[in-house]
Amino acid sequence: MPNPLKPERSVVTTCAYCGVGCGFKAETRGGKIVRMTPWKEGKANHGHSCIKGRFAYDYYNAPDRVRTPLIRLSINDPWKPVSWQEAFDYAASEFKRIQAKYGVKSVGAVSSSRCTNEEIFLTQKFARAVLGNNNIDNCARICHSPTQFGLTNTIGAGAASQHFDSILQADVVMVVGANPTEGHPVFGSLMKRRIRQGAKLIVIDPRKTETVESAHCKADVHLAIRPGTNVAILDSIAHVVVREKLYNEAFVHARCEVNEFENWKALVGSDKYAPEVIGPLAGVDPDDIRKAARIYAGGPNSAIYYGLGVTEHSQGSTGVMCLGNLGLSCGMLGREGVGVNPLRGQGNVQGGSCLGSWPHVFSGYRFVTDYATRSSFEAEWGVTLDAEPGLRLPNMLDAAVAGSFKGMYIMGEDPVQSDPNQHHVIAAMKNMECVVLHDLFLNETSKYAHIFFPGSSSLEKDGTFTNAERRVSRVRKVIEPLAGLQDWEITVKLMNAMGYNVTYNNPGEVLDEIARLSPNYRGISFALIDRVGSAQWPCNEDAPEGTEVLHIGKFPRANGLGAFMLTEYVPTAERANDKYPLLLTTGRILSQYNVGTQTRRTPNSMWHPEDVLEINEQDAMSRGLKSGDWVKLSSRFGQTELRAKISERVNPGVVYTTFHHAKSKANAVTSDLSDWATNCPEYKVTAVDVVRTNGPAADSVQEAEGPGIEELEPAECA
Amino acid sequence: MWSELRGLKDEIDFGTPPRDGSPVTLDVDDVTVTVPAGSSVMLAAAKAGRAVPKLCATDMLEPFGSCRVCLVEIEGRGGFPASCTTPVVEGMKVKTQTETLKRLRKGVLELYLSDFPESEMADGWSELHETLKAEGIASHPYGNGGANHFDAPVDASNPYFLFDPAKCIVCSRCVRACGEVQGTFAITIAGRSFESKVVASQDQSFFESECVSCGACVQTCPSHALVEKSLFEGEYKHAEPAEA
Repeated sequence: MPNPLKPERSVVTTCAYCGVGCGFKAETRGGKIVRMTPWKEGKANHGHSCIKGRFAYDYYNAPDRVRTPLIRLSINDPWKPVSWQEAFDYAASEFKRIQAKYGVKSVGAVSSSRCTNEEIFLTQKFARAVLGNNNIDNCARICHSPTQFGLTNTIGAGAASQHFDSILQADVVMVVGANPTEGHPVFGSLMKRRIRQGAKLIVIDPRKTETVESAHCKADVHLAIRPGTNVAILDSIAHVVVREKLYNEAFVHARCEVNEFENWKALVGSDKYAPEVIGPLAGVDPDDIRKAARIYAGGPNSAIYYGLGVTEHSQGSTGVMCLGNLGLSCGMLGREGVGVNPLRGQGNVQGGSCLGSWPHVFSGYRFVTDYATRSSFEAEWGVTLDAEPGLRLPNMLDAAVAGSFKGMYIMGEDPVQSDPNQHHVIAAMKNMECVVLHDLFLNETSKYAHIFFPGSSSLEKDGTFTNAERRVSRVRKVIEPLAGLQDWEITVKLMNAMGYNVTYNNPGEVLDEIARLSPNYRGISFALIDRVGSAQWPCNEDAPEGTEVLHIGKFPRANGLGAFMLTEYVPTAERANDKYPLLLTTGRILSQYNVGTQTRRTPNSMWHPEDVLEINEQDAMSRGLKSGDWVKLSSRFGQTELRAKISERVNPGVVYTTFHHAKSKANAVTSDLSDWATNCPEYKVTAVDVVRTNGPAADSVQEAEGPGIEELEPAECA
Repeated sequence: MWSELRGLKDEIDFGTPPRDGSPVTLDVDDVTVTVPAGSSVMLAAAKAGRAVPKLCATDMLEPFGSCRVCLVEIEGRGGFPASCTTPVVEGMKVKTQTETLKRLRKGVLELYLSDFPESEMADGWSELHETLKAEGIASHPYGNGGANHFDAPVDASNPYFLFDPAKCIVCSRCVRACGEVQGTFAITIAGRSFESKVVASQDQSFFESECVSCGACVQTCPSHALVEKSLFEGEYKHAEPAEA
């Protein structure tokens, strides 16, 4: 072999895949990206990487990238390439026409966790300051909204309490509804390092995941619960903590609301949550519940990490509160090595969540109804702002179907694919007069769009991402945007075309505006990040280089005390019966990312060419199935066909699939129930049946025929 | 406790992981340097600005002591200890550049070259190439006639990186990175002595093995035996979409 060619230049930036947010050096030669290597000084990854960030970056240059703005008068017309100015002018004239005809609140905007903090902030500014209403939402709605709600109500902040390295001081690691080895691989490696050093591991997951057992890493307890019994099992663990007096009384008395603690004790301590009652219901050995409780409470440092297996349930918010309660009761908060930590899926879900892309709150979760907060934004933006909360995305779609909502600016989202009840979403889209889609590729939603702004990938723009540990890191432009404009510029130029006069010389000035208007980001700037590498919020006068561990001394609630929420178990309405005897749950695999918009455009698909249905041997035998057989997977909501794989990873009664490929349509089958508090869809439990078939008709097996048509945005976004 | 991760620097390889111990002061080539207890002599030398050449050592991995390039002399001790596996001691006096050491290192490096293709010496930029340059070794004294691995087949099964056994010096950095950093333990050394070679899983191709393509082995390989395909022009076409 000859010697490789040496890269000429390197730019430090942040990976755009999962919520770990690894630092990378993008290396170029002759103006082309030739390699991504992990940055040793990246505080989230310390020089490590996974297959996605390290190798699967070439999607940016896929042949079907849209490289010029497109418009059309009707969704039945073909797209017409136009200049940027023409596209901006057309979008502005349409939004103005619609608002004149149907009212100020007949339009809105949606942003995405794929966007930078600056873009997310500008999109909500576009809605509030330019459109003049609060109709702004983002995709955290369908993944970690219960985290925001559940953690805020217990420990006061809807974000990870720790930094990733904190796990190296944990004696016990409890992973609930997450599979870091596959979903957050670089953090998974750090976790395994700690397990190899001797920390104990508890895993609560219906499936025997790679996290449960791999080389030199084995869970001390695996509670392979029946899907949908999270709250029951967590209440039962709490029951053991209460009955065996394993809680940390000193911590509770010093740091928590004691009356609420007593109420909580009475609830979870009641007989109905005894392991002997909950064990059979959840399908686990009662002794294992006791063992898990004793290990967790025994610490001395126990840390909880959880994912969408907790949030995407009808009791998603309750499940998150259970974890908050557990951490508080055992005193596992407010120092290194402990904590309650959501593992966020997309690179910037935390940023999407904390920068005001919500209909009811500004950045920092401050209510639009609050006069003082609103005034500070009005002063900065020079306009009067609407005091009434706007519509959530599902409500925008409902209003569109009803005929009162007529136009939408969608940045980096694909609601037609990713939101529940596709028929309803399509009806809404068809009923709108102007849908502006801003993305890299044409997707399902683009079929119903009138204007397409070709966006820039994270390699083509400047900005910041906030990862799952609240760490704000720089995204730096490596190559020029393929369509000529960075995403933040596109949004600003749209604002300008609408007649709102604002200029930023670079996105650092947008971050400065975020800092002026958002307490947690007050000290964050490009200059700070360039100096210290990255910084975790809150970053302010008291913590000029950021805060690694939250909740030291007090919780960010009005009285500074942690609160116990009552977490009664209410079974989901989605249940197995004779017709649908199995429970389907879904997850991710290492080589693919969500529905594969990026990774399916790379050789990563060699490892995972299709989604398969994992089924236990017992259920397979009773259906005459062997590995490789085509099966029809049907539920009350829909059906799809895919290949079966007999697997010991799932227990009898449970089947599992991934949702990376369009053709397998896993989310055509999933339930339309959602979290009681936040509308986060219940993707994780669906009663199904599986029968053998001859396989789908040959013409329907083809995937991604025609550029971008089947390229879907994530159904589960974090 | 976190220096192993947080003490890493982008442009500097200390050779062994940074540590958190209490301060220890020693002399390296008459430069006085203070480092945490538990640090290696190699790390102390790097901090003193007297970096010792090395091949099997890197600061993201625990020291291994196999390449024998990092030998030093320590006052009051016999022989030539490997600086990577020798912990610092208060008051230690270390020499990293003596005529004897130079001769020993040259001998060791030339032995590596006896199983390294001469044609690949000139335009390379791997750590091995840089070390040869730094030690002033431009020739290939043993020729290409002896036993070697030049014809061992290249494993190009992984779409992103290849493994060329001809360039492998069997330093075990890939093996250790796969275990210590990634935690997958997919790579091992099979065979003994001259027969020893890097293999994935049960001597399978990288693609068929348990390898998860995290890239840690490629990142750490000092000789470009494991290397990204995207760095080659022509022969390897990068990122051909597998679908669509």
